[in-house]
Amino acid sequence: MNFLLILVIIAWLIGACVRVYRQARFYQIEEYMSARYLRWLFGERQRWLPNRPLAAWFVGTALGLLSEAPNSPLPYIIGVIAAVVAGIPPREKEVKKAFKRTARATRLLAAAFVVAALMAITGNAVIGALPDVEEVRFVAAMTWGVALFLFAPLWLVLGNVLMTPVEAAFRARFIAKARHVLEEANLTVIGITGSYGKTSTKSYLAHILNTRYKAYPSPKSYNTLMGLCLAINNDIANDHSLEYFIAEMGAYIPGEIKSISELTHPTIGVVVEVGPQHLERFGSPENVALAKYEIIKGLPPDGVGVFNWDNTYIREMYERGYPQTRIAVSREANAPGDVHFTASNVVESLDGLTFTVTDRQTGQQEEFRTPLLGLHNVTNLLLATAVAVHERMTLKEVARAVRTLQPAESRLVRRVTAEGITIINDAYSANPVGAEQSLRVLGMHRTGRRLLVTPGMVELGELMESENRKLGETAAEHATDVILVGAKQTEAVKTGLLAAGFEAEKLQVVDTLAEAMQWYQANLKAGDTVLFLNDLPDVYLS
Amino acid sequence: MSAKRKTTVAVLFGGRSVEHDVSVVTGKQVMRAFDPERYEVVPVYINRDGRWFTGEPLLDLKTFQNEVASLKGIKETILSPATHHHGFIISPVSGLFSKSEVQRVDVVFPALHGSHGEDGTIQGLCELADIAYVGCGVLASAAANDKIMTKTILQQHNIPVVKGVSVSRSEWEDDPDTVIQRITKALPYPVFVKPATLGSSIGVGRANDEAILRASLDVATNFDRSVLVEQAVTDGVEINCALLGNGEKIRASVLEQPMSFEQFLTYEEKYLRGGEGMKSAERIIPAPLSDELTAKIKDIAVRGFKAIGGRGTARIDFLVKPEQGEVYLNEINTMPGSVAFYLWQHEGMSFSDMVDELVELAREAHAEKRRNMYNYQTNLIEVAAMRGLKGIKGAKSPRPVQS
Repeated sequence: MNFLLILVIIAWLIGACVRVYRQARFYQIEEYMSARYLRWLFGERQRWLPNRPLAAWFVGTALGLLSEAPNSPLPYIIGVIAAVVAGIPPREKEVKKAFKRTARATRLLAAAFVVAALMAITGNAVIGALPDVEEVRFVAAMTWGVALFLFAPLWLVLGNVLMTPVEAAFRARFIAKARHVLEEANLTVIGITGSYGKTSTKSYLAHILNTRYKAYPSPKSYNTLMGLCLAINNDIANDHSLEYFIAEMGAYIPGEIKSISELTHPTIGVVVEVGPQHLERFGSPENVALAKYEIIKGLPPDGVGVFNWDNTYIREMYERGYPQTRIAVSREANAPGDVHFTASNVVESLDGLTFTVTDRQTGQQEEFRTPLLGLHNVTNLLLATAVAVHERMTLKEVARAVRTLQPAESRLVRRVTAEGITIINDAYSANPVGAEQSLRVLGMHRTGRRLLVTPGMVELGELMESENRKLGETAAEHATDVILVGAKQTEAVKTGLLAAGFEAEKLQVVDTLAEAMQWYQANLKAGDTVLFLNDLPDVYLS
Repeated sequence: MSAKRKTTVAVLFGGRSVEHDVSVVTGKQVMRAFDPERYEVVPVYINRDGRWFTGEPLLDLKTFQNEVASLKGIKETILSPATHHHGFIISPVSGLFSKSEVQRVDVVFPALHGSHGEDGTIQGLCELADIAYVGCGVLASAAANDKIMTKTILQQHNIPVVKGVSVSRSEWEDDPDTVIQRITKALPYPVFVKPATLGSSIGVGRANDEAILRASLDVATNFDRSVLVEQAVTDGVEINCALLGNGEKIRASVLEQPMSFEQFLTYEEKYLRGGEGMKSAERIIPAPLSDELTAKIKDIAVRGFKAIGGRGTARIDFLVKPEQGEVYLNEINTMPGSVAFYLWQHEGMSFSDMVDELVELAREAHAEKRRNMYNYQTNLIEVAAMRGLKGIKGAKSPRPVQS
């Protein structure tokens, strides 16, 4: 009956392969870092030890053994059915970051399947060595099958380890190519970093510079070394018209910005904000600041550093005195004298922001009007202005450019539905500062109910609890209704809301974003407003 | 690595034009004027047949004869109209020993005179390529290059010009008598006969009677398909004024009076008198005119420049009768010989400062153009695909997109 046994194992194997394929997405989300992936995997039992295959194994084995007829193929048929049932993937919650079939992902999958084949062969050999008793072999096959299935995610890890030298070679070649492209292109490189606000600042700066020059901002949130290499190799290599490359530099590990600087050689560095985001990875805001300071250290001595003076960590960077040309900006009109650009008369309305920018070295003043919302955007624009003026644009030109700005993609985009409901979408890695601003904007709507939909904030390390409670407290001030998505991760938000006196009957907790959507479509009417705060990647939801 | 990057300027000179040689002189002067600390100059030579070359040796080549193509270090090139090249393609047809490559430039300096250079053609190519370029734009260059068009525009703006009659080649060939009649009815002798679009003095004749007029028209119609017959200004002096600036901020230079106006300037006299182009030609700077008349000429120069929509620089040539205080705007040169730098030197501005300013003006004008929107997203194509290409008119639902 060896053939039937193999059939059972193959059925399990196919299920396991499907599982591997599905898991690859999360591996990708965790940027191919095995440790991060494993931490996520073992974060919840359902992820590494799902119920269904266990049940299928148990029921299938029991049924298979109960059939009495000798030489009957029935147990094996039951075994195959059990494997198929186990292998049917669980219903997916909303897919927000789909799997992308990159060359690297394909290589990883191939390696993982090689591992899988080895496991299957081993399994067959082991079963072949067992005593020739049908029942023993059957149970062994089923057990081996479920083991294959359950450990399928580990093949990815093993595959990843196997691929390490290959990937390293690919990386090295890719980076070398990007370096060569940049050398040929002779661009002015502007680096932008910060715990948050860097994507917005980048796109605003690109918009302003593009009214006079030709600037290329690194696309979307391509802010890692490899992401930037991809942008360079794909876009800069083929476009000779570019004068500026605005590189968003993310720091997920210390030293990352340093390596990006060594590749791109920015001559202008902008530090937007340092605060409690990605604390899980860094431990403390001081460590975050240290990582961000790499962008300044990477500038040449005659480069230009642009600093947000209002942030104490960044102010400290400014005061360290490197490089020679340092430009500080502040939202406080009475900031000390060496702060170069300040904003005053800031007025925020639903039509956007209005404020006066003062160039304190020339004494020039211009009124800025922009459709953007949120006070943090005043800082982002001051930083962009500092760079543009340094690049010989006049304050007047900058003011003119700022009028036609659009909010960065999925950051505080407002639109009104056909039913007259205003939707505010701040659906991107919300952080404490941004979240508060978005809530304030929600609070400005006075025509009807104001609904907040949020799954809370993540990746705040030890501050997660307190920051989420604070989010709840602020929400109580500005929202009339709240829907929390996911009971477990929003507990602190709920505590905050209730502590601040929010009525419990206006608060509901649902499992999925879809439920929240259904509720607002059924219950809200023209004049009401919904704020979607922080759309989480699937890693945190499933 | 330093924070400063050099500005790359391509200087175009030579050209498929009767003023090829003058352009070579202007080009060499311009290339020398750029401060090597801040600029990287890419020399681009266009030969008389319209082939383009680039390469280091062009920077200090003495003669520009047919051997240029075969010199070591010289490669063929073209200015690409595709925006992402933003410059020249060197060795556009690649071969075994010549790999095609892109030479990016920041600014193009067309030091070209006359046809295929000063007439809007090169300017149009730069517009397509989306590269900043020195001097007037397409329309102003083309308008100023055509004497008939210039006159029409200036008359519309009430700027004093000499009376003239335009004659087309076919008209002249088909019915010369009617043409002569029309001219003599409108203008008293003596008259000048000028091809509409040629620079310098080529094909130009002065006629005191009908016989010479007929001969001059025969000559002039060989050079252009339309010809301008203009009343000659007797007892006038020629006065030139150079301009610098964009938009509303245009300033006029000191005035010059070129000498020997009594006898008409022949081509040799105008350009080939010894040494370095225009510089050593005999002229009086500043022109010996009253302050009042000087101010009047400068004012008309600026108005005329604005009338054709000029920007960057130009030299405007006048015919002036100092005693009567009469001023006629005669010609607008959008790329004057030697870029008229000698006039700005009198204003205390070195040639080096001047090319700096020209590059800055070019970038400013280009930035102004960048403010225009060129992308306007519509769903026209989708709608057309759905409906078949008929009935597209009612289907517009545009939404603007920033580019």
